[in-house]
Amino acid sequence: EKWDMPMAYAATNFHSEVGATFASCVTDGTGGELEIVTHPSGSLFGGAEIKRAVMTGQAMIGERLLSAHQNENALYGVDSIPFLVSSFDEHEKLWSIALPYVEKALEEDNLHYVYSVPWPPQGLYMNKELTDIEGMKGVKFRSYSAATAKMAELTGALPVQVEAAELSQALATGVAESFISSGATGYDRKVWEHLSHFYEVDAWLPRNAVFVNLDAWNDLSDEAKTVITDCGATAAAEGLQKSIDYTNFTLDELKKNGMSVERASDHLMGQLQEMGEVMTAEWLETAGDDGKAIVDAYKGE
Amino acid sequence: MAAARTLRRILDTFYLIGGILASLFLIAILAIIVLQMLARWTGHVFPGATDYAGYCMAAASFFAFAYALNHGAHIRVSLLLTGLGRHRWWGELWCFGIGTAISTWFAWYAIRGNQISWRFKELSQGLDATPMWIPQLSMSIGTVMLAVAFWDHLVRLIFTGSHGITTDLVDQSQGE
Amino acid sequence: MEQLIPIGIFLFVLFLLLGSGVWVGLALMGVAYVGMEIFTSRPAGDAMITKIWSSSSSWTLTALPLFIWMGEILYRTRLSEDMFKGLSPWMARLPGGLVHTNIVGCTVFAAVSGSSAATLTTVGKMSIPELRRRHYPETMVIGTLAGAATLGLMIPPSLTLIVYGVTINESVTKLFMAGVLPGLVLALMFMGYVAVMSWTSKDFNPTPEPHMSFVEKLKNSRFLIPVICLIVVVIGSMYMGWATATEAAAFGVIGSLILAAAQGSLSWGTFSESLMGAVRTSAMIALILAGASFLSLSMGFTGIPRGLADLIASWELSKFQLIMALLVFYIILGCFLDGISSVVLTMAVVEPMIRAQGIDLIWFGIFIVVVVEMAQITPPIGFNLFVLQGMTGHEMNFIARAAIPMFLIMVVMVFVLIVFPELATWLPDNIRKGPGG
Ligand code: NA
Ligand code: NA
Repeated sequence: EKWDMPMAYAATNFHSEVGATFASCVTDGTGGELEIVTHPSGSLFGGAEIKRAVMTGQAMIGERLLSAHQNENALYGVDSIPFLVSSFDEHEKLWSIALPYVEKALEEDNLHYVYSVPWPPQGLYMNKELTDIEGMKGVKFRSYSAATAKMAELTGALPVQVEAAELSQALATGVAESFISSGATGYDRKVWEHLSHFYEVDAWLPRNAVFVNLDAWNDLSDEAKTVITDCGATAAAEGLQKSIDYTNFTLDELKKNGMSVERASDHLMGQLQEMGEVMTAEWLETAGDDGKAIVDAYKGE
Repeated sequence: MAAARTLRRILDTFYLIGGILASLFLIAILAIIVLQMLARWTGHVFPGATDYAGYCMAAASFFAFAYALNHGAHIRVSLLLTGLGRHRWWGELWCFGIGTAISTWFAWYAIRGNQISWRFKELSQGLDATPMWIPQLSMSIGTVMLAVAFWDHLVRLIFTGSHGITTDLVDQSQGE
Repeated sequence: MEQLIPIGIFLFVLFLLLGSGVWVGLALMGVAYVGMEIFTSRPAGDAMITKIWSSSSSWTLTALPLFIWMGEILYRTRLSEDMFKGLSPWMARLPGGLVHTNIVGCTVFAAVSGSSAATLTTVGKMSIPELRRRHYPETMVIGTLAGAATLGLMIPPSLTLIVYGVTINESVTKLFMAGVLPGLVLALMFMGYVAVMSWTSKDFNPTPEPHMSFVEKLKNSRFLIPVICLIVVVIGSMYMGWATATEAAAFGVIGSLILAAAQGSLSWGTFSESLMGAVRTSAMIALILAGASFLSLSMGFTGIPRGLADLIASWELSKFQLIMALLVFYIILGCFLDGISSVVLTMAVVEPMIRAQGIDLIWFGIFIVVVVEMAQITPPIGFNLFVLQGMTGHEMNFIARAAIPMFLIMVVMVFVLIVFPELATWLPDNIRKGPGG
């Protein structure tokens, strides 16, 4: 049997590389009985369509940025609560607590979870030095999601809505002066041409998850299920390491190109985490009992 | 004969209404883009503006499919048809047969796709968080109108010998 | 080679449906359906709708109906007549005389219209009677008009470039900037050809223009002011970075409505006609795009693009050989297909190939546009030929022959682009670098 695996990001992105390794691991492990063919760059289904395609069996397996679907279920956004975690380690801890709940949510959407890999942590790009949250007041801040719009509101920044495709143009023309994203974005978009500071605030670490159509999963032999699960575990570990390595690489590149790259001061970090608590409370309102159980368990440890 | 004329008028009005709906959505696109610019210049956010513009884009296209067909605006390669000369009717029958089949199939699955969005409670991934089945109604309705238009022209072709579409050449080529 | 049969089936069904006169968008859906049924057990209809909905509700696409609408408004105002009055006094003393108004007029109108046919009809309607009255050679009048009108596709705004940008996920604004210099160079090459012909051809004996003083010429130029304002607003807003391509299109619609109102040619009738015309045209393109998006999904499932790309990669063509192969390929395709279809039909296969060769996708967009421009004037299917046939009443082969020199100039243009790629890439790379850039 042949499974086509749509993926949203370019073939050279580390998520796609991990996915390709996973695919050949499954193909080899099942002795070609189950062949997985990856389609990177959204060449089969684009990012926004992948979950629907796999849910309904238009593709049997796929990879998607899970938090993009948090409108449908707040639990999908557990990896994107601002300033709840502040490192890869803390993030992994949160994720291990949340995973059973996320798996259950996916199951309700007719999906079986296989593995997931975090993106590099989200930092704060600024056009000036920032020592206190007051400095955000009046700065044109890119808001592209509910969370970033809320951040603008809480900090007094001027929200400007800019789509990812137009980010470079918005920065070049001063339409946006500040935004939150990973170091990788700054490296890809040559943000040093427009902005001067990058603060490692590790606001959140969104994840790309790989999932299989539940019916297709149930039809698999036990051997094939084991192969997929094992290959998934290997891929998750490999992906995490790649994400850490890539974070370091891109931050070095930002520095090399003249940006100031540093961790936010304790004072600023404290203020951001205060803001994070407000936003965590808001997330909890939409995430119900399961959300509360996750956050309680995470904070209790 | 009178009944046929009435039916004819009803159907043509039906396609025209689709075209008018589409034109209202085109105006809506313009309005949304202007509002979004105004919001940006004044430091406000118009949440989901791009998503709404996208839904209007879809509505402006789907609602006008049948209307455009009725006005001969959809492009096709008519070389062979012209070459058929007095046997052109057979060529047209083939084209309208295929067109009717594909457009009916298209409408069928558009409705099914709309149902899938409804059943899985699919929400927009943008700031608007719209239930996807609502904007997708334009696709279901528009494709059904197109299928109706094809059946209409096919039946006319079979019984009157002419499909009744007049093509405005300039109109047809504005897209280039 | 195992893919020979599937490719054969695909091509057969494609040529059968397209060639027999089935509407392009539906024909593409039919081909895609056949592909899905043969090559995968996935549900074809459901997958089609997923893909078609997301491509049809794309925000980037909204620039398309707006630019079409703007062109429709202008086409129904007195703007075109004014342009001839303003331009002709300046052209009269050039070698080749008023034939240049065809080219300059098309170039200027191309800057406000995204469509070649709109450019052709608007400029042709005013210039053909004037030029005939002055006994300019008919082949010259028709040929230059057919050729120069294609600039509507290259000089921004451009529908073809929007569709190309949406298909390959590149910035439409960058593509628009890339089109400016090549468009102007191509216009100059057309004008050079006219000058040469006016010296060498013995048929070239037009009635000379009455002398006009510089002041009078300047006075006549006031007719150009509205057009220039509109161009400044539409293009300026994009280049200065105030507006995206979509927003510039919105500026264009509002600007042309204001112009029409100022001229007194905006009535309920012209407004609703322009709106309904725009709706028809954009629905036509939307249906083709819908079919094409399903076809590209189907192609993805079959693995043919990957196989073809592998095959061509195995030939180990150099960059230049690949470009030459694609040039021939697109010229042949252009004989049968309109530009937008041939872009969306082939990009799924061609994009990975050119990416693998490290060819700049912005540059390639301009290359594609030149080739698509040629398709406008090659028989049997060339839109500009059809429109001119309707407008002048000449036989198709007369018009096609008149346009051959323009076709050859465009072939030369491809080589100019290959030798001087900066023509396309310099502007998008160097404008709006911003602070610290
Ligand atoms: Na143009
Ligand atoms: Na042609």
